[in-house]
Amino acid sequence: MTTDPTTAAEAVAVRGLVKAFGRRRALDGLDLHVREGEVHGFLGPNGAGKSTTIRVLLGLLRADAGEARVLGADPWRDAVALHHHLAYVPGEVDLWPNLTGGEAIDLLGRLRGGLDPRRRADLVERFELDPGVRVRAYSKGNRQKVALVAALAADVRLLVLDEPTSGLDPLMEAEFQRCVREAAAQGRTVLLSSHILAEVEALCERVTIIRAGRAVRSGTLDELRGLTRTAVVVSLRDPDGALAALRAAPGVHDPGHVDGHLRLDVDAEALDDVLALLPRFGVRGVTAHPPTLEDLFLREYGEPVGSPR
Amino acid sequence: MTAVAAATRPVAPADRRAVDRWAGTGALVRVALRVERVRLPVWLVAVVGLTAVSASSEADLFPDAASRAARAELMRSPAAVALGGPGYGLDDYTIGAMVANELGAWVSLALAVMSVLLVVRHLRGAEESGLLEVVRSTPVGRDAPVLAAVVVVTLADLVTGLALAAALVGTGLPAAGALAFGLGCGLVGLTFGATAAVAAQLVAHARTASMLGLAAIGAGFALRAAGDVRAPESGSVLSWLSPFGWSQATRAWVDERWWPLALPVLASAAAFGVAALLAERRDLGDGLLPERPGRAHASGRLTGITAVTLRRLGGALAGWAVGVAALCGLVGVLAREVVQFVEDEPALAAFFPEGSGAAADAALSRYLLVAVALAAAAGVQGVAAARVEEVAGRAAHVLAGPVGRVRWLGAQLAVVLGEVAGAVLLGGLVMGLTAASTLDDPSLVGRLLGAALGQVPALWAVTGVAVLVLGAAPRAFALAWAYLGYVALTAMLGGVLPDGSDLASPLRYTPGMPAEPMDWPAVLVLGALAVSLVSGGVLAFRRRDLLA
Repeated sequence: MTTDPTTAAEAVAVRGLVKAFGRRRALDGLDLHVREGEVHGFLGPNGAGKSTTIRVLLGLLRADAGEARVLGADPWRDAVALHHHLAYVPGEVDLWPNLTGGEAIDLLGRLRGGLDPRRRADLVERFELDPGVRVRAYSKGNRQKVALVAALAADVRLLVLDEPTSGLDPLMEAEFQRCVREAAAQGRTVLLSSHILAEVEALCERVTIIRAGRAVRSGTLDELRGLTRTAVVVSLRDPDGALAALRAAPGVHDPGHVDGHLRLDVDAEALDDVLALLPRFGVRGVTAHPPTLEDLFLREYGEPVGSPR
Repeated sequence: MTAVAAATRPVAPADRRAVDRWAGTGALVRVALRVERVRLPVWLVAVVGLTAVSASSEADLFPDAASRAARAELMRSPAAVALGGPGYGLDDYTIGAMVANELGAWVSLALAVMSVLLVVRHLRGAEESGLLEVVRSTPVGRDAPVLAAVVVVTLADLVTGLALAAALVGTGLPAAGALAFGLGCGLVGLTFGATAAVAAQLVAHARTASMLGLAAIGAGFALRAAGDVRAPESGSVLSWLSPFGWSQATRAWVDERWWPLALPVLASAAAFGVAALLAERRDLGDGLLPERPGRAHASGRLTGITAVTLRRLGGALAGWAVGVAALCGLVGVLAREVVQFVEDEPALAAFFPEGSGAAADAALSRYLLVAVALAAAAGVQGVAAARVEEVAGRAAHVLAGPVGRVRWLGAQLAVVLGEVAGAVLLGGLVMGLTAASTLDDPSLVGRLLGAALGQVPALWAVTGVAVLVLGAAPRAFALAWAYLGYVALTAMLGGVLPDGSDLASPLRYTPGMPAEPMDWPAVLVLGALAVSLVSGGVLAFRRRDLLA
């Protein structure tokens, strides 16, 4: 294998990935780059291709075209060697119904080549899991905890988590976030697919947003925010005059009255000019906040596919 | 921290070896054996125990050479050949020859069903539920699940086969024959297990894969039956195409030959190889046969629980009905041979003082009982399907709406009970039509239809037991299957089992029409029993907690 120096530090390197199921193209030229040691958020609406991508990265599906490298290895050809170094938690966890949770954790650990007993005990306690219960009697959330404990206790370089917290309560969600931070502090790489934007915002340094099998945005959260608009709410002495002026100003979107205030979205590059324009109308108060991930997300999906960025 | 030290080291493809494809097999075998720690021993004890009991009961029933010779004459009839075996050793019908000839097909059948269900459960079942997705994300090779299933099913069949041999030696039969018999039956199971491994690669759903495997068993049984009838005591080409024929070709306890055992070994190895090749090349979760796209809106016919049940179970129940009808048609076609056979053998006349027509009637009523047992299996499966709805949470979904429990269960049971009755009536009609044309006796159509109708209360009673278990002890639904197994075995093994062993089977009390006259009191009592079992089950269901 030739090691490309630019990708050597990439835990996951995907270029132009295509995967079709019959006539439906689940992945349509997807790019995804995850650096070693980072927590990478993987976002997209239902059916965007997140789970398909992850299954390709695990060697469970074979890509029709494009290139995928995980820890420098081909995920289909080198699956077994690669799987010594990664652990996976699916969104819908189904395990052996007549084994106990503890047995399932140990078994998954043994398949991965052993797990750290102290870390296992610690995680079982932190996730408040009763390991003596049979899997068939667990709720969805508890089955997910079983898979999480097994994955987090494994001594691996890469954690692949596909909506791992969809069944967890807020306390367990917080515990999960602590665990991911610890894993990151130990130098592990985490690929986190999630619908819980607050979780991604709290954990991830970089984010890839996909839609219809293609990456539409990728970068740090700051970079993504810089690409979009800031929401500004101002309280003015002459709101009607301001509204007329703002409508004419470049880089201002959807200005309007909300609860006696004026609300508008401003492009990053126009922010300076717009703020300079406002004092004429007597500013009494102003709040501005950068777009949340939710704003980014809604904006990406509000636009039709293929619209210019 | 090792993870940090390793951070920039790519996973070396040098770790990759050809054996990677099998990596993790040992661990998967161990977990499969742990998961099956109850189910497989139950199968083993049931199969070995029943066989041993039947073998010793045959020894009691036919203590001397004269009684065995008379039995051998009966076994020469095409009907007996079709149901049992080609009849090796009928000239000197020892107990061993009797066991091989009259029990071999059934023991093999039981092991075949066990193997198909086992293999599908561990391959497509685990894949469909998502378990294999987690397993395959660990360092487990692409072929490891198939190889693990091979090892487990081979162990299950060989251990059962050897236990069979040991138990039969324990009843006093010679060891060589016992080994040939046990291994032969076990290898039939293995062959169908291997077939199921291929089926599990072809289709995306475990249920479809099981049905394919069971259909292969049915086809194998029919091939052997047809082949043996054409050439008794040797088997024609058709018999040699069926795994059932291979095990019987060992001629256990008559004149053992061992080379036919190589056939199932080779066939299984080939089928497992194909399964592994397919598994290696395809995506996880994918079947090779395409899925049909469905409609986006419910059609006007999808009006309620009854319609949904028909949609869910209609195909499977229709499949059972076709199986019942095929069996009955085969028997009807063979009716002529039965009559011919009795007419040619004056020695048999003593058994049928009313003439050869009575011989045909006796054969027809006996096979009708087998058809009823088959339909009862469809009934229990239909009731089990209602339980699956419950466990999967779909029942809660529906019952949270304005649908009462009695209506929910009642609508499904109406479909199931109606379809199984329809299957038996269809079987009676087909048997009547075919027998009427081969025997040139139009009255048989009406008589066999009437006979089938007379079996319906008993059929519903067996299904009713499953309903009662569903209502009263839903976690112990295996009891319903066990009871069905008991009813089916006592129906199929008929005269071989000790007298009175079928006391708890409703089929004992149904009038054996057309050989026997209609027995109204028995039919009415069975009908009342069926009604109480079903309504008792529904009432118990209404009072209990929903599962899951």
